[in-house]
Amino acid sequence: MTMTLDSLSLRTGLSVLDHLDRSVRIPVVDGLQAQGDLIVIPLPVVAEDVRLWDEPRWQDVPPEGVELLRGAAGGHPHTLVAEPGSCRWSTRVRDAHGLAIGVFAASAPVYLLHPEHGGSGCAPGTYVVRRQRERDGLRARLVAD
Amino acid sequence: MQREAAAIRAHWLGRALSTLPADHPAAEAAISDLYRLIGLSPPRFHWVASPLAALETVPPGMRASESVGRVDDWPLPARFATCQNRLYGSIDAKVRPAQLPIDRLIRREVLFSLQGSVSRCLLPPVRRAHSWGFRRSRSPKWYDVLNVSQTAYRAALRDVAGVVLDDEQRRQFDLWTAVAASCHWWWPGEHVCVVSERPVALHTEVAENNGEVRLHHSTAPAVRYADGWAEYAWHGTTVPSWAIDQPTVQRIADEVNVEVRRCAIERLGWEAYIEQAGLWLVGAAPDPGNPGCELRLYDLPEGPRVLLAVNGSVERDGHRRRYGLTVPGHLDDPLAAAGWTYGLSGEQYSLLLRRT
Repeated sequence: MTMTLDSLSLRTGLSVLDHLDRSVRIPVVDGLQAQGDLIVIPLPVVAEDVRLWDEPRWQDVPPEGVELLRGAAGGHPHTLVAEPGSCRWSTRVRDAHGLAIGVFAASAPVYLLHPEHGGSGCAPGTYVVRRQRERDGLRARLVAD
Repeated sequence: MQREAAAIRAHWLGRALSTLPADHPAAEAAISDLYRLIGLSPPRFHWVASPLAALETVPPGMRASESVGRVDDWPLPARFATCQNRLYGSIDAKVRPAQLPIDRLIRREVLFSLQGSVSRCLLPPVRRAHSWGFRRSRSPKWYDVLNVSQTAYRAALRDVAGVVLDDEQRRQFDLWTAVAASCHWWWPGEHVCVVSERPVALHTEVAENNGEVRLHHSTAPAVRYADGWAEYAWHGTTVPSWAIDQPTVQRIADEVNVEVRRCAIERLGWEAYIEQAGLWLVGAAPDPGNPGCELRLYDLPEGPRVLLAVNGSVERDGHRRRYGLTVPGHLDDPLAAAGWTYGLSGEQYSLLLRRT
């Protein structure tokens, strides 16, 4: 099924800013995708660094979606959206870099939606969601756009 | 439940960050009653325009050694703190086991959120006025007593969790509520109480999911009092005025504090800073997943390097925003630098299919 920002927005009740082109099909791909300060990585690519806990306690992604992360000023959220029953999600994840906020496993295309960055479509598979960091003195700090 | 808690938080945050003129009669009445509560007769009141003025003026009847900068050494604040602790402890003791889940929610949504907002927004101007030295040093305990989060938390226990206050608790609680609603910081001396007017301008932005806010204004002071005392802040970091008013490459180079330097560069804009500072380009590469856009890695005068990247989605005006990210100084490949920001190698990052 072809998904556009409009149809995704209609289905979830989540809004996107009106200057984005809402009628274009959202590409569904099976590789790495960045959405602002968030990146989606197929789990096998980072399997050495990222592990799920022994009991991941998967949760089904509800019809209204899962808010993965909310931006700093103004607080725009990145939301994971899926057809009911097609995606589960766990935050019980260890990451050698400390950047993973969770892992999701999709059996059908799922979408990440953000009011400013639009939509990213992920083909069936298991993915890690990571935040972005930058150097701050001798430490690293997380980026919030 | 969460919505009710958020509404209470918003109500008290509005009170705490209000820029309306103080209500002198209401504040004086409430503070006078609090003095009576600890067995003292009401003080004389000395109103000042800002916390700095509170520090600099010694009202008649007050010794010079009784500077408000040493408020924790005064006898009365500890007595008010004890009085408040006793009241709030007696309210907290009424929370029944069945109400504990609501209590947890209220703590998160009201207590911790407001605690954070107040200390991030109202303490910085006081901290600088009183020169408490290092940025993260502990502020006097008196400011915890006056932090509205404690009072708001009990208001939420009453209104959301259904904790019932008895007459005496209600009487005392109303006094703390009234004083919080009518003025800014105050410093209780034995004979004279110094009370500050509220700021005339205060600008914030949302900082956390729990509704916590922090100071920010990109072109003007984030906090300003009627006597001109002001505090500048960039996304929650307090900075000297030049960092907002007139950030220049030279001033940035002369600044020793790395956080202030970063804020001033962000205020100037990374692209402008790189051009004006004549930074050396270490390398450039096409951004995979972002057709037509380049990743450019630059050397900073010292320490880290900066990666200039282009946003994957357009702004309202049709442009794509460029932004700088600082990365470790040992990276010399733009792809490896971009990868590092996501915990990836350059090779892994080169697999990026799409950026929005």
